Parts: sequence; structure tokens; C-alpha cells
Amino acid sequence: MKSRLLTVALGVLTAIGGFLDAGDLVTNAVVGSRFGLSLAWVVAVGVLGICVFAHMSGKVAAVSGRATFEIIRERLGPRTAGLNLVASLAVTVLTLIAEVGGIALALQLASSVDHRLWVPVAALAVWLVLWRVKFNVMENVTGLLGLALVGFAVAVFLLGPDWGDLGAQLLQQVPVQESAAVYWYFAVALFGAAMTPYEVFFFSSGGVEDGWTPRDLATSRLNVLVGFPLGGLLSIAIAACAAIVLLPARIRVDSMSQLILPISEAGGTLLVAVIIVGLVAATFGAALETALSTGYTLSQYLGWSWGKFRRPAQAPRFHLAMILALVVAVGVLMTNVDPIAVTEYSVVFSAVALPLTYLPILVVANDPEYMGEHVNGRAMNLLGTVYLVILVVAALAAIPLMIATEAGG
Amino acid sequence: MRRGRTGPRDLAREPEPRQPGRILDARLHLLDRQVLDVDEVPVCTLDDIELELVDGEPAADGRIDSSKPVVIAALLTGPVLGTRIFGGRPPASRWYRLAWGHVADVGTAVRLGVHGADLDATWLERWTRDHVIGRIPGGTHDPEGSG
Repeated sequence: MKSRLLTVALGVLTAIGGFLDAGDLVTNAVVGSRFGLSLAWVVAVGVLGICVFAHMSGKVAAVSGRATFEIIRERLGPRTAGLNLVASLAVTVLTLIAEVGGIALALQLASSVDHRLWVPVAALAVWLVLWRVKFNVMENVTGLLGLALVGFAVAVFLLGPDWGDLGAQLLQQVPVQESAAVYWYFAVALFGAAMTPYEVFFFSSGGVEDGWTPRDLATSRLNVLVGFPLGGLLSIAIAACAAIVLLPARIRVDSMSQLILPISEAGGTLLVAVIIVGLVAATFGAALETALSTGYTLSQYLGWSWGKFRRPAQAPRFHLAMILALVVAVGVLMTNVDPIAVTEYSVVFSAVALPLTYLPILVVANDPEYMGEHVNGRAMNLLGTVYLVILVVAALAAIPLMIATEAGG
Repeated sequence: MRRGRTGPRDLAREPEPRQPGRILDARLHLLDRQVLDVDEVPVCTLDDIELELVDGEPAADGRIDSSKPVVIAALLTGPVLGTRIFGGRPPASRWYRLAWGHVADVGTAVRLGVHGADLDATWLERWTRDHVIGRIPGGTHDPEGSG
């Protein structure tokens, strides 16, 4: 019998990859230091959206045994699904690059050894876990260690802010020193990060890896309802830390090391140590999630054997795809690009991938052939449809906003 | 419920008479479905189906009209993504055939009653296993096993 605590590890790990990956950690701090908490509502909207669609994808996986990209290929056909595959892979691999770089940066924070030396070590460590470690050990360890990021929420309390002032920021409109276009660019970027497509690929495939059946529907729901709100809460906590310490000091965040500033002010070395453990675990978990998602999407689109529950020799092309993705990640990082800046461009690809991922999930969740008696209820369909409209609007707005604001300038 | 008809009966718009058994729509229920073998191991994705006339003759010049009943001879897969995305017809040699007789069930996936490892459709999987993945230490290690 698995313990109650560990049954939600998949949801927690999925949410960490979505809300607290290396790119989002920095974005949250940037947003907090420039806009205070005035964009926290976007995170809340994003949490509800990803809950709706992760719930549907988990339900489809548990009832029919089909993971999300199998459905996408089956419903959209090779052409449109192929377009989605290219866009989704671009988002996923760009994030993987950022994560491997992020692990290296987090290790640099802990060791003062240059991050480029850590890159091959980080990639090798990720691969060894993919190659050798059981799926549920992997999700439990990274999920639990990632919880060390709760330290950000602790720091908010230790900093003892003026709560009234912080609350007022929640309702605030665009801060005077920022333009509306920049505000909305970050709104779209935060929303896209919350609903990033590899979360549902990973969550549904993880459900298959964990051997979910219709009896595990409650587990799936629990994973969704614990994991994503927790991820959203922590990302707001990071923004709050930045809003309390960095916003008044007018410090512009542009790297991961600045995440630590509010923490050391609040809790000293001990809390910094806890946060660094959390940062390493979160970026490592996100690296695993994106590497696996690369293998899952390719294998499910092309009909290959996949899954960490199989021996590598029984899913050879799946493992080869992940190895190649990691090699690409190391190669790109060795060119000395800023790994965090790389993720900004994934917004462009998300614009294509998001609607083409969530539409087939909504359609299949209503198909009695797949779902039997577990087809969506009316409230779920209404929410799903509303979110599809929001997704399309955000997708259309993303690219012009990015160009107009020079990616947030 | 009665419906008023204005024109002559349009056969193409009439609903098909009810058939015994399940009705499968080739595009909806077969194309692009995942194929699983007898052990639930993914084999391939279905790319096409091969039809033949009921009397067993393969359709002359590859064309089949609606005048004679046809049955599915085989399910087809293969390295044909290019033609499926951009159009055109690949030569017959590119297809791997999965005999219809091997199909055990058509549901949310097409299930075969045979082992995928014995099929031509999985040769690239076997090649990758034998020449790449199987050569890396630990490649045959069972992750769900003890260590």
C-alpha cells in the first residue's frame, strides 16, 4: 500500500515542471520585482486552466489507457498533429535546455564552480535517472525535495511585510513605471507557462507509467488538486518575495542568483541552503519531466514502444530520443547562450501548441468510446471551452506583444 | 417521427440500414490509431488499410468501386509520414502489412493477437535495440525489478 503522501508525487512533480522550472523561477522574480503582485491573478487563472485540462487528460489515461499525444495523433491526423509535435517539441526541448543550464547554475550557487563545467555533469545525472531509476522513485524523490521551495512562502512571513500594502498590489492595475504592453506581455507569458503543454503530456503518460485504471480516478483528481495549486502558490510566493525586497530597492532581476537575495535577508544561510536544495530538485525534476516528455510525444505520435516501466531494450527508440535531446541540450549550452533567455522564445511555439493540444483532449474527454460512463460533465465542458477561447486569444496576442515589447524589454 | 420529403429519394443521404455487429468508420476508428501487440506493447500507428474484393481477388488496378462488396485484407503501416502529410502515394514496397486475421480487437487501440517482435513493422525498433540501446550498459535492466 502506497502512503497517502506519495500518491500525489506525480501531480507535484508535474506542477514543479510547469510553474517552478528554471525559466519560470526567474520570470516570477522578474514579475514580482517589476509589477509587485499585480499579476498574481494570472497565475490563479492559469492554475484553474491547467487543473481542468490535466484532470481531463489524467481521466482519459486512467479510463482508456491512452496518453495525450496518442489522442492528438488519432483525432487531428498526421498533418495537424505533426505541426503540434514540432511546436511542442520546440517548447519542450527549449525548456530542457534551460533546465540543464538551470541545474548547473544552481550547483554554481552552491559550489562556486563555473556553471559550464557543471553542464555535462548535470546532463549525465539526468540521463542516469532516466536510464536506471524506477518511475515512482523518481517522482517521489524529486517531488518531495522540490517541496523545499516552500521556503519561499516561509520567507514571505519572515520578511514581515505590510500585508495591507501587499494586498493592495493584488488589485492594482499596471504600475505607473511600466507600459500596458509590457504588463500584458508578462501576463501572457505567465499564463502560457502555467498551461505549458508538456505538463499534460507528462501527467497523462505518468498515469500510464503508474498503471492507473478507472479505480485510480480519485488518485488522478487528488494529484491535480494538490499539485497545481501548490505550484501556483509557490510561484506567487516567489513573486511576493521579490515584491517585498527587490521592488522597493529597484533591483532588476536577470539571473537565478538574485532569487536568493530576499531569502538571505529573511532567513539567513540556513534558509538559503534549503532553497538551494529546492532549486536543484525543482530544476532537476523539470529536466526529467521535459526529457521524458520529448520521448513521450515522439513515441506516441509515431507509435513506438515507450515508458520507463519497460526495460530500455524494450523501448529503444524512446530512450534514444531522450539521449539525443540531452545531447542537443548540452551542445546548445556549450555555445554559452543564456539558458534562461532561451525559454522566452518558447512563447512563440506555445502559441501553436496550446490550442492544438487542449482541443483534442476536450473532444476525447466527451467521447463515450474512450470514456464510457466517465465522459465530461457540463460544468467541465463549459470550463474547458472557456479556457480554449482564452488560449486562442492569448496565443494570438503572444507574438505581437513579444515583438512590440522586445520580450518584456 | 415523420419527416416531410420534398425531392426524390436521395440514396446517398439515407442512413445506412442497420447492420448486425459494430460499425467501424475506417477514418475514425482505424486510421492513426495506436496498434498494440498481444502483450500490450505498442507496435506502430496505423497509416492505411488494404481492401480486397470478397471473392479474394485483389482489386484490379487498385481501384474499388461501390458495386462489389469488399473486405479489409490488411492494415498498413510504414515509413510513409512524408506522403501522409504532403500527399502522394508511396510505392507498395514501403508498406508493412499486418494481416487482418491477426487483429484481435478494435477499440481505443487496435489490438493484435500476435507478438510485435515477430513483425516486419518493428524492425527499426529491433535494430535500435540491437545496435544502439542494447549496447549501453544497463540497457536490459528491468527498472521495476529489485534494484
